Amino acid sequence: MNPRLRHGVSRRSDTSAKDSTKDADIMIRRTCWTICVALAGLLLALPLRYAASFPVDGRETVLPSGSELNEEALNVPREQFHSEAAGGRKSYLINLGDLAFSSSAILGGVARQAGISCSTCHVNGASNPKLFVPHLSTRPGNFDTTGHLFNPKADNSVLDPVRVPSLRGARYLAPYGNDGRTASLREFIHNVIVNEFAGPEPPPAILDAMVTYIQDIDFLRDFALGPGGRLAAQASDAARRGEVLFAKPFPHDPSLSCAGCHVPSGAFVDHVPHDVGSGGLFKTPTLLNADFNGPYFHDGRYDSYDQVVAHFDRVFDLGLSAQDRNDLVAYLNAIGNAERPYEYEGVASKLKEIGDFASVLDTAIPAHDSDVISLTVNTVDLELRELTEQFPDHTDPSVTGGQQERARARSALKDLVLRLNRIGAVASAGEFDEAAAEHRNFRNLSVGPLPVLLHAAQPWSLFNPTIHDAHYNALQQMLQTAGK
Amino acid sequence: MINDIDQALAGARELRDRIVAHDIAGAQKAWIAARVGWERSEVFTSGFVPQLDDAIDAWPDATKGFHGIEAKLFGANSFDVQDQIGALIQNLANLDQQIRTIQLTAQGLLNGVTRLAYEVGDGKVDGGESRFSGTSLDDMRNNVEGIELAYRIVFASTLEASDPKLAGTVQGEIDRLKQLLTVEDLKQLDPDALRKASEDLVVTLQIAGPKIGLSTPTLEEATK
Repeated sequence: MNPRLRHGVSRRSDTSAKDSTKDADIMIRRTCWTICVALAGLLLALPLRYAASFPVDGRETVLPSGSELNEEALNVPREQFHSEAAGGRKSYLINLGDLAFSSSAILGGVARQAGISCSTCHVNGASNPKLFVPHLSTRPGNFDTTGHLFNPKADNSVLDPVRVPSLRGARYLAPYGNDGRTASLREFIHNVIVNEFAGPEPPPAILDAMVTYIQDIDFLRDFALGPGGRLAAQASDAARRGEVLFAKPFPHDPSLSCAGCHVPSGAFVDHVPHDVGSGGLFKTPTLLNADFNGPYFHDGRYDSYDQVVAHFDRVFDLGLSAQDRNDLVAYLNAIGNAERPYEYEGVASKLKEIGDFASVLDTAIPAHDSDVISLTVNTVDLELRELTEQFPDHTDPSVTGGQQERARARSALKDLVLRLNRIGAVASAGEFDEAAAEHRNFRNLSVGPLPVLLHAAQPWSLFNPTIHDAHYNALQQMLQTAGK
Repeated sequence: MINDIDQALAGARELRDRIVAHDIAGAQKAWIAARVGWERSEVFTSGFVPQLDDAIDAWPDATKGFHGIEAKLFGANSFDVQDQIGALIQNLANLDQQIRTIQLTAQGLLNGVTRLAYEVGDGKVDGGESRFSGTSLDDMRNNVEGIELAYRIVFASTLEASDPKLAGTVQGEIDRLKQLLTVEDLKQLDPDALRKASEDLVVTLQIAGPKIGLSTPTLEEATK
């Protein structure tokens, strides 16, 4: 997401997604130029350019103050694509779907103004345990999709947030929605865009692409699991005992067991809603990669597996001993694990993502597909501007060194943005041959000089955790000073 | 262009006289007057005489030139600017001489126009160049006036002959910039819209370059 900064909206993260609640109240507030002007008397005491350098687009937020989008996280969920894991490469449709998923342009006015896209909540197709929007969330990691803010027409007048689910393995997890109300993923996505976020009717090709993209997101591999969802040989004794308990019939209703709904051989789901004493009928959630999908239950009421196991013990009167509970938790931890669940953002990963998005033009320009060209230019433009802001300019006092490298990186990125927009301008005029030529110019800079310049500047960029922290600490101090 | 530089030089000399007379209000007025001609001429200075441009008009955090004087004159009501004014007058006089003899090229001017169009939306939009004097909006208006003047005199007729639709787009985007800058003060300025309008104009000028027999203008100076 881009760094279009909004007053009171935090996009910062620490380096671990697991301690989400601990830092949920660390709100690094960003401001906008409007606010800076209002506070000019105070801010003039600070280096002027710095005071105004954070609000990249100067837009006042449309989100409530105190919103946490966690978009500054350096440590992000790793995204594994089925097509790449199988040794191939992502198709045009997957890249287009990923692009649309990351674009606020497909959503309605408020989301668009706030720079929110599908990927804001589903970071790299996973979840966002720190997401918090006042009046729409009751805790980090949940969100009311039927609130007033994003679409007044969808407002049900009840604060009923649901947890933000991971989309990993979605192709195995129909029906969709927490209550499993929608059989079709395509229909579900359409509902999110049009009804929940007040977006315009999406072109069918875009919907198809988004379905293709989501269906290509794999579960991350878990070495603890063998064939049929059984524990592999290296599992601990506790986990093995837990596996037995998991399959054991409930004492007061032998027709039930944990494994009866969370079917190990079927991605730990049964595709059916159940009432497990949480306030209604809710679809069985998968347990694969679930160590990283907290909080748990449809509304995200539980932070830990201990709490989840205690809930079932209480509601179904399972009579678990302390060791039983520990064993079940050990089992859940084992089957919910994943290989390399997170990865650090950096120049390489950002350029890979932008390159994948821009590759859509390889097909869209020869096809004279003006809508897709426009969406691609719009989305890649914002991604490039975001990337530019990862290299603070010379007026940022929290970053010393590498001034020339940073200036060169920013300059190249700004040039690339203009090249990109020339593609959009000539394509919108129907001059597709010229668009193809401009696209070649764009690609030549993207794959040639740009990576060299960005890698050279990376040590002094916000991708460096030390500089990242110094930068946002300075910003926080500045805004605290301004707010006094 | 010569008239603009002459105006800036005359304003700087008036500024020196007002400082000597310890007339702070008169000095501030003279500083503002000197800026008008200067900002209109930036389409030329940034492309053809970058060293002088830097010495005269570096910002932000400048200690010399117009903005070094501005910080003391408007920020602190200080008269301690005589050395800086002396240097400014010398640089403007030097520029005044150079502009009469320098070989102007169409490519250089197109580069200057494009860079200035970019600067209006990029560097100047987020608070303005002349913060202490409160004349940032005037700076931008004068920049756009200079852009329009250079475009109309040097490029418009050629572009209209080769691609009338594109020529119309250029003029429309200049008009859009002017319209966005009609607000009463900086707080009312829509920075997103201005940035977009500025970049739209840059992109159109870059597309126009090859259509009038020139190269695509670069932003090398503007994006430093």
